Parts: sequence; C-alpha cells; structure tokens
Amino acid sequence: MNKIAKLFVTFISAITLALVSFTSSFAKVEGEYIVLGSAISLTGKYSSNGVHTQNGYNMAVERINKMGGVEVQGKKYKFEIIYYDDESNPKRAAQLAERLIKQDGVHYMLGPYSSGLTKAIAPVTEKYKIPMVEANGASRSLFTKGYKYLFAVLSPANQYLEVAIDLAVEKNGGKGVKIAQAFEQDAFSQDVRLGILDAAKRTGSEIIIDDKLPKELNDMAATLAKVKAVKPDVLVVSGHTKGALTAIRQISEMKVDVPMLAMTHCDAAKLSKQHGKKSEFALCASQWHKNLSYKDKFFGSGKKYAKDFQKEFGYDPPYQSAESSAALLVFKDAFERANSFDRDAVRDALVDTEMQTFYGNIKFGPGGQNVAKPMILFQVRCKGDDCENRVVAPTKWASDKFYHPIPKWSERS
Amino acid sequence: MAKVKQKDLILYSSLIILGLAAPYLFSAFKVQLTYLCVLIVLAMTWNLQGGEMGYNTFGNILFYGLGMYLTASVQVGMFFPLAEWTESGGEKTFVHTTAQYFQGIGVGLLVSAIVPAVIAGAIGYAILGLRGHYFAICTLGLGIAAGEIAGGIEIIGAGQGFTTPPFPAEIVDTEARGKFFYFLSFALLVGTFIFVKYIYGSRFRLILNAIRDNEDKAEAMGIQTMKYKIVGWMCSAFFCGLAGGIMGGLIGYIDSTDVAFDGREMGVFMVLMAILGGKGTLWGPVIGATLFHFFKEGLWTLILGWQYVALGVLIVVIVVYFPEGLMGWLREKYPERFGEVVDEKDRKAQVELK
Repeated sequence: MNKIAKLFVTFISAITLALVSFTSSFAKVEGEYIVLGSAISLTGKYSSNGVHTQNGYNMAVERINKMGGVEVQGKKYKFEIIYYDDESNPKRAAQLAERLIKQDGVHYMLGPYSSGLTKAIAPVTEKYKIPMVEANGASRSLFTKGYKYLFAVLSPANQYLEVAIDLAVEKNGGKGVKIAQAFEQDAFSQDVRLGILDAAKRTGSEIIIDDKLPKELNDMAATLAKVKAVKPDVLVVSGHTKGALTAIRQISEMKVDVPMLAMTHCDAAKLSKQHGKKSEFALCASQWHKNLSYKDKFFGSGKKYAKDFQKEFGYDPPYQSAESSAALLVFKDAFERANSFDRDAVRDALVDTEMQTFYGNIKFGPGGQNVAKPMILFQVRCKGDDCENRVVAPTKWASDKFYHPIPKWSERS
Repeated sequence: MAKVKQKDLILYSSLIILGLAAPYLFSAFKVQLTYLCVLIVLAMTWNLQGGEMGYNTFGNILFYGLGMYLTASVQVGMFFPLAEWTESGGEKTFVHTTAQYFQGIGVGLLVSAIVPAVIAGAIGYAILGLRGHYFAICTLGLGIAAGEIAGGIEIIGAGQGFTTPPFPAEIVDTEARGKFFYFLSFALLVGTFIFVKYIYGSRFRLILNAIRDNEDKAEAMGIQTMKYKIVGWMCSAFFCGLAGGIMGGLIGYIDSTDVAFDGREMGVFMVLMAILGGKGTLWGPVIGATLFHFFKEGLWTLILGWQYVALGVLIVVIVVYFPEGLMGWLREKYPERFGEVVDEKDRKAQVELK
C-alpha cells in the first residue's frame, strides 16, 4: 500500500503542476481579434443541424472580417470563434459554456443548436453576465425566465406551425378541423405542440391524435396507422431533421392519404433533394427563405447569400445557417454601437438593436426574442423530378399559391 | 478500519487538504472538479457490484437519474406547485429565496438518497436472481425504460425537460455557486470513500467476493446470497442517488434521456472508469475515473468530431492490454509492492513446467 501511496502522490502532484501551468487563459479581445465562444453539436443526434449552424457562423465571420471587420474606438477588429463539441447533450453543453467562460476567457457567446441545449447554457451565461446571441433556441420558455443576457434572432417555437392551422381552417370554410399530431420528446418540438394546442383552441379545432415520438426517432408507423384509420384534415409532425425524414419516408411507404401535411425542418433535412417527389406538397415552417426581400450590405439579398453559401459549402443554406449568420451581424452592430468591449455596454447595445439583415428584421422583445420577423410557410413543389421549396404564406412574400388538398397517393404518379 | 497506518494518514490528510484547497487553487476548473468527484463516486459504487460482487450492472444510472429528478422535484415542490413550475416547459417563473433554496436542496438530497435505495431493494429482490449477462441485459433495459417513462410524465416536465431552481440571486458572488456544488460533491466523495473503505475491511466484502467467485458454493456455505446482493445494491443506489441530485442542481436543466437517465454516456462511463482503473480494488476506480476525466477534458476538444472514435480505441486498448485495469497491471508487475510474497523458486519452477 505504501508504494502505491507514493505512486498516487506523484500522480496527484503531476496533475497539479499540469493544471497550474494550464490556467493561463486567453483574453476576451486578443490583439486584433474579438473572441467569441460557442458549444455546438458536431456529433450526436443534432450533428447535421449543428454543422448547418457552424457553417452559418463561419460564413459570417469570414465575410465580416473580409469586409473590414468590426470598428471599435477607431480600431478594426476581426471575429474569431472558439468551438467545442457539445455532443448534442445538455449536460456537456452547460459544462462547455462554463469552460469557455472560465478557462478560455470568452466574454461573448454564440448560441448552440436546439432549444434544449440553449436552455442548459442560458443559466451559465446569465450567471457570469455574458451576452449571448443565439440563433437556434426557439423554445418559448427561454424568453419567460427573465434572462437579461440572452438574445435570439429567431421567432419563438410556438409560432412555427400556428399559421398552418389557420390556413387549414381557412380552407375548411372557417370551420374547425380535425388535427392529428406527433411530436418528438424534446424541448423544441414540445413547444411547437403548445403552439398547435393554442391554435386549436382559438379556431375550435379538434385534436384527434396526439402522439409523442422518441428522441432520434426513425419509426412513426404506429401514428401513421392511426392516421390512416381516423382520416384527420391535418397531420402535424415535428422532430428536427430525423423527424422530417422519417415522416416523409413512412408516409410514402404506407401511402397515407391526408389532405394537409405540416412539418418543421424540411429544409435542414434537404427533403426536396433527398425524397424528391415523395415530399411534394409537404408544408413546412421556416424562419427564413432565400426569396424574401430583406437586404443588408454584407450578404446582399437572401438569394445572393444562398448562392455564396452554395459555393462555399456545396448545398443550399437551410434557415438554420441563415439565422446563425445573422447572429454575427447582430454582434457586429452591437459592438460598433456600444463602441466598447464592456460586457454591459454591449448588452445594452444589444437591447437597442433594430436592424435589417438579409435574414430579416431584428428587434428584441423584453424577453430577448426577435419580435420584428414573422414565420413563413413554404410548400415543396415539383416540376418533373426537380423539387423545390416555394413560399406560400404569409401572402406578402408568397411566390406560389398554396396547393390544397394533397392528391391521394393513388392519383399521384 | 482498525488502525490507520501513519503513512496512510499522511496520504489521506494531504488528499483532503488538496481537495479542500482545489477550488481556490484552480478556480477556473471548479465545474470540472465537481464532475470529477461525481465520476469517482459513480465508479466506486459501480465497483461494488461489477468488481466485488461480479454482477455487471448497467442499471446504476437508474438511481442517478432518479436522484436527479427527486432532488429537483422536492426542491421545487416544497415551496411551489410542481405542476405549474414545469407546465408548458416552465413558462411561469417562481423565485426561491436563499433559505428556501438551501432547505429545498437539503431535503431533496435526503430524499434522493433514501428513495433510490428503497427502489434498489425492490428491484433487486425481483432481478438479482438473474446471473451473468442475463442480469447485465436486464439492468440495461432498466435505464432505458426509466428514460422513456420520465420523458412522458408531465409533472416533471416530460419531453420539455425540467429546469432546476436557479441559484439564489441574493448571493452576488458569481463563484459561490461553483464552490457550493464543489464542496457538496467533495463531501459526497469523502463519505463514499470512507464507506467503501469500511466495506473493504469487513466481512461483507468477503461475502461479495465469495458470490463473485462461486455463488453456488457461497450458498452452500450457508450464506444467504440474495440478502447480501440486495444490500450491496442498495448501498450503491444510496450514493448514486446523491450524486445525481448534486449533478441536477449543477447542470440546471434535466432532460429525461440526455441528462438524467443518460445510460449512453454516464452509464457506460462508470463501467469504463472502474475497468480502466482496475475493478475489485479500492483505488482502481478512483484512479480510473481521474485518468478518464483528464483524458476526456484534455484530449476531447483537440480531436473535435473524432472523440468517440478515440474513446473506442481507448476501450480496445484497455480491454486488450489492461484487462485487469491499471491496478491489476501494476499488481502483476510489482506484486511485492502490494504486499504479496512471491516465491521465486516456485515461480521459476512453474515457468520451467510450461
């Protein structure tokens, strides 16, 4: 035991030395760089959307740096981001936020992907009074906690599919509809569900199927079998990328006929590319679409952003990337207006944000959510084998008419 | 625990001093140190089943998750209606006063120690008759089922997750929260260590070992193996529940499958750490957990995206080169340092025989 004790003491002292020498941390602003921190899902169930988010951040950093950077007190600074992989796990995300702030000395944070992870990180940033601009945490409860350092460039989750229910009711001659819904068991999707519940109550609609789907779902046949039996007017599905892919795959396999199919995350899942004609007529909630007419001087219009993004990363940008890019534009604007690196000055500047970006207008409400930008709905439409997303609501930006009802599978070629 | 030798005394007191000073020495690493304490506790308690009793359980994560939900629920439920706290993903805001917060977490931790222990007794009675991989698979199911069930219970937030009460705002010191949870977990670690060390010096351990080595023979010797197996598991559940309760408060957000009943990560890690250090030894899980945590924190971020591949390689390396863990490997290499007498003649004779 004694020898072991010695060994152990040596081991402990070696670790102590290693730790002490490692404690020298970075500064919030290093030379000409403003260091931002972000824990992002590069592995795990949110990895595809995590990468969309990271690409959005990187694209904006590169663009802003190339176009002169951020000017604070007459000096030009460039953005730099420290990334960690949160493994799509809230526990890990909270720990990494702590690490970014305490060890890497980060003073400004960019959000992670998904509401659940944002929920885990927000208490940490709040505790250390670190301003966080997030682009992918839409859960309504994030904005009712009285957080002072949290700013979201996107619309809250409960607004995602409310419009779809309104649309269905309108097509039904103003009468309530029968809704079948299935949502993944996670913070975001459950919030979308709350939005539907509200909309159903408001319009006098009836919810006849209300299923919960497991995380990382890859099978919802049980729900679809019920849908086949009870014939609802609307089927609502939300479960991030995997939810969208699973729904389309199984609906087409089981030939489920439903007049209207409303979903989230169609563009992140690249539905129109992956499933082509099978995904036609799906109605999708989106924070952004490239055809919208918003503009800014960094990315130009949405169309130009989409083109540049395609060139850089090889795929059409989903809204997750667009909103992430917008988060950096917000930060740049706030730094320049604050004209200082003081966290509270930057925070106060963020509160007063009122700007237009290629992604939409941004103005923060008292809870930190973006109140200046509506949600849009698009529908997958195909010409031959070539499918794309067309905006159908709200009418201001609609490029196409909403196609209703979805033809039966027996009538589709 | 008859007499503590002087050298051991020096070792233990220096470790305790180091533990108490750590949050001041490495202020920035408080959260990681808290994780380390919890990981060691989980590895040590797993070792009681996996190492000493020979029952490879994946079910200890059940008690960890239970402890997490229980602590948070009690902490909220004592002062506010729990259903309203979690309703709609926690839309309404209630604020704990400083006294309420600490009273809540205190009672919560008490509950989170006792209830999992009782549940371990009940489940153990039902399934500890299974042996070998049948037991392992059965316990694997426990954790997964618990995660799915918790994800459907509205009063604890269901799929929306459960936001635990924020640390009282009246305490302005931003370091206070980190220190509080660190010392809580350190106290748990010390308590667990003393308990396990006590077990190591007791007849109880010998019985557990007898069960591991040959359960039928142990039974034939007149040992009521079922009783001891259940009590052993209850002890583990007691400490796992406490560990979960502390982690819930620290993380601040409980998700049914990703944080609480996190069998894929914590559930596997606790087994891995115990095996890495050497199962069936007192210090093995401690060293294993420490090394693992350092490996994870140090290298994880250097190999972004490949960390799980690296973890896989690590598992293979451990299993192939250190099947008995680091302690087992050391013991084989330097048996005399472990107080084992090697008869050189006998050893040589055996080598020649081969």
